[in-house]
Amino acid sequence: MAVPIAPGRRRRGIRSAEAAWGYAFVAPAIVLFAVMGVYTIGYGFSLSFATWNGFTPQWHWVGLRNYADLLWASPRYAPLVHQAALHTAWVMLAVPVLTVVVAFPLAVLLNSVRRLRTVLRSVYFLPQVTSGIAVYFAWVYVLQPDGAINLLLRSLGLGGLSQPQGFLGNPATALPTLIGITVWSSVPVAMLLYLAGLQSVDPALIEAARLDGAGAWRVTRHVVWPLLRPITAIVILLALRDSLQGFQTFLIMTNGGPGNHTNVLGLQTYRLAFLSQLDPTLGLASALGWLLFLAALVLAAVNLRAMRRLT
Amino acid sequence: MTPQPRAWRPALAVVMILALGAGTSACSGGDDAGSSDKTLTLWTFKQSHVKALQQAAEGFTKETGITVKVEAYGPDDVFVTKVQAAAQTGNLPDLIEVHANGDDLTFGASGLLADLSKDVDEAWLGAYLPPVRPDGSVTDAYYKQSQAQDSKIKGIKPGQRFSVPLTVGTFGIVYADKRRLAAAGITAAPATWEEFVADLQKVKAKDPATGGVSIGLKSPTTGLEWFMQPMAYGLLGADRFHALWGKDKAATFSSPDGVRMLETYGQVTPYWMPGTQSLDIDAADLAFVQGKSTFDIGGTFTLAFLAQNGFDAANVLTFPVPAPAAGVVKNLSLAPFTRTGVSVSATTKNRAGALQWLKYLAKADVAATFAKEALDIPPTDLGADPSTAVGPALGAMMKAFGSGPSAYNPGDTSYRPSTYDGPTVASVLMDYTPLQTKSAAAAGAEMTKVIDSYWTKQ
Repeated sequence: MAVPIAPGRRRRGIRSAEAAWGYAFVAPAIVLFAVMGVYTIGYGFSLSFATWNGFTPQWHWVGLRNYADLLWASPRYAPLVHQAALHTAWVMLAVPVLTVVVAFPLAVLLNSVRRLRTVLRSVYFLPQVTSGIAVYFAWVYVLQPDGAINLLLRSLGLGGLSQPQGFLGNPATALPTLIGITVWSSVPVAMLLYLAGLQSVDPALIEAARLDGAGAWRVTRHVVWPLLRPITAIVILLALRDSLQGFQTFLIMTNGGPGNHTNVLGLQTYRLAFLSQLDPTLGLASALGWLLFLAALVLAAVNLRAMRRLT
Repeated sequence: MTPQPRAWRPALAVVMILALGAGTSACSGGDDAGSSDKTLTLWTFKQSHVKALQQAAEGFTKETGITVKVEAYGPDDVFVTKVQAAAQTGNLPDLIEVHANGDDLTFGASGLLADLSKDVDEAWLGAYLPPVRPDGSVTDAYYKQSQAQDSKIKGIKPGQRFSVPLTVGTFGIVYADKRRLAAAGITAAPATWEEFVADLQKVKAKDPATGGVSIGLKSPTTGLEWFMQPMAYGLLGADRFHALWGKDKAATFSSPDGVRMLETYGQVTPYWMPGTQSLDIDAADLAFVQGKSTFDIGGTFTLAFLAQNGFDAANVLTFPVPAPAAGVVKNLSLAPFTRTGVSVSATTKNRAGALQWLKYLAKADVAATFAKEALDIPPTDLGADPSTAVGPALGAMMKAFGSGPSAYNPGDTSYRPSTYDGPTVASVLMDYTPLQTKSAAAAGAEMTKVIDSYWTKQ
């Protein structure tokens, strides 16, 4: 004879079955995060306290020596890191400022045009769509001694501005040129963010300013610009992050050259990890990566404070 | 009592299936690159060797019934990462083409390669050219280097052998376009550095836009190791040349000897092809093929690339980077060294078959066929006139190889600190020429400072 089941016990059974199903469904995501996230982060962090070339079965633990070597202790690595840090600082200073200087006026102009607005937006967004290895190679050809830019300058009678060694071959122009290319590729997203911001500005505010006699410049400078400060903060943060961690442009276009005149911290990390001729420098690469992470954390904190103040 | 339906059981089954699936896939990954009694897998980083190796493999299969699968992974950093990953997952192939006296010792020190010292006997070594026979083995000099702190070859033992030679060659070969030379009134290769600089001047005067020298300085070591070092060896002789990298400040790059040598090298500054400092090695060779330069600095291996890209070998004049007339070495020549070798992995399941394949590659007829297909020089002794076996271009280079104290051997790195980092030193040299941001004295002082930092780790 069947024994009746108490309603409470039955409910508990259903609840635990539901929980088991829930766990089963989230398990793949948890496993994936544990392997791809927690494990790799922990692995990378612990590697920063060791020397290893990727082949030996064991790591050689060195404590904080990798960090010290990178920052000051090693006459071999510290000068390279200092030089790369200086170049990175220039990039971090120039790229956000130039991105805002180009993207904001461009967005204001695009917002004000009545005809071909969509076409123009697409045109100015092209660098974002096309950015990639092929485009950077194309830039290399354009910037060579017999490339399109020198040809254009000479045909316009501006031969004095042309670079006989190419824009990437002259140590004085190589870094500014790479900064220009980085700005070129970061302007589209910034412009799009500004456009979105401009379209959310209350037209009544602009109308009121105009009624008070403000011209286009004053409206932009004293009404629109302050209202878009949060967008500017985001644009600057994104550009700073790209400048600090991005290095593909530098790797493809100059590989840090000529000499070491365009080496940046991201590229130096890559070089230590993969281009060190089998030296046991994976730990150094990891340590430099964590130093970059720390710098990014500080920047994020500063940005958060700025955002709170501006919004 | 009626058993209650266990609603959580299907959920448990899902988790079990996922776990088993992950376990199965993890286990099955181990044998991808593995071998059997009848199949060997060989990884190479040289795309130009693939067809030649496949051709040799066909003959090997006919002879032994063993198939050799050749797989290429490149460029070099991708290849190294591939080997790193395979080493971690126990998925190495049976055979690996390696940079001799470099990768092979590092991989061997890490336990990835089989020690071939007991298998490669005198009879086997006798098939190779005498200067390259020790290549791939742990000499006393390499063992001493392995004792340094942070040495990448720490763990090797004297007498071990981790590879046998596959291709030999040398750096410091100048390729010149014969037609442009003729137009400038030059009919023979320069015998001295001064004649070379005079030829550069004549060609540049005749053809200012395209009369220069190309070299892939995006890899800065090309300027240092392929161009400056042979000239410096000829100028200073072996001992004073080695001392440039030494600890004695009276003889390093910052010494009067060092600065004089740098100033001599700096004589080429007006003749660089515009923008050569931004080109990688292939792009510099292509610039020569496209007629953007008249001289191209490379190695014996450059010929294959030029030919593959359509440059007629009949239009090339090749000669070694010459020594200055007042140099210590009067008849400077270039000694061959093993550029690439083949290693057997420690995890191969067919060691006997792998060794059979290596021996087969060392046969004179197989090596000659490989050389003609790959346009690369084999390590095998092909007699007094190798041209009949490998063709006139490769044969001429093989005949030009030197030996003894008047021959500069780029493969000998025993005089440098074990943690030496060529690109860093070479970048400083680039600041002197072609970039001209440093004087010879300043560059010499900086190079010495950098090299000193390596000695502190020794």
